[in-house]
Amino acid sequence: MNSRKLYNRISVLREERGISRKELADRIGVNFQTVGYLEREEYNPSLDLAFRICEYFGLPIEMVFSTEPMKPLSQEILEQRKKMGG
Amino acid sequence: MSAINRKIWVLINYISLGMLLFAFYSGELAERSAMVYAAIAFAFIIGLISFIMVHIRTGLWKMVHSKVDKLDERQIQVTHGALRHSYSIFTILALVILLIIALAGGYDDANLIMIFASLLYLAHTLPSSVLAWTEKVV
Repeated sequence: MNSRKLYNRISVLREERGISRKELADRIGVNFQTVGYLEREEYNPSLDLAFRICEYFGLPIEMVFSTEPMKPLSQEILEQRKKMGG
Repeated sequence: MSAINRKIWVLINYISLGMLLFAFYSGELAERSAMVYAAIAFAFIIGLISFIMVHIRTGLWKMVHSKVDKLDERQIQVTHGALRHSYSIFTILALVILLIIALAGGYDDANLIMIFASLLYLAHTLPSSVLAWTEKVV
């Protein structure tokens, strides 16, 4: 069975926090090359790893992973505000 | 090391193995001259250098031979895939080589030992060669 491609914001979130791939890899318990593969969206993480990444960034899973290409965070926040009537 | 360089080193590694076998075989047919010994030594050195470049410097040898609990989920996945491919490649190659030996004949014990030693080398190095060939970044 071919699994769907997963899109993510790992690269943006990591750069926002100013940490290296190696540091992130150590925190989530994978090899630093695996972080590269995740950032390039060439590897779909397991549910466990996806949750570990989200827990590290302190964000809900839908903010980090998606089955559709991800919009820039600023656009997403703007849309959320519009939905909330702000 | 770039993906293309890794592929070139994989090819050099197996070509040198072929050269080693050929030099050994021709040495058995003819007199073992200094030229044959030089060819064997040359093939061995090239094989050793390419082995270090493909398997050791890339860390792929360590990855393939690591215990599962030392690898992350992606590494386990790609290692499993490489082992599966290697098994198929090795089985086909071994069958073809055995068939050639059976049909052609004329191989003495020393040559047969070299051929089987090469097959063992192949079996042991194929998984990391497959990874060196298929992985985008190592």
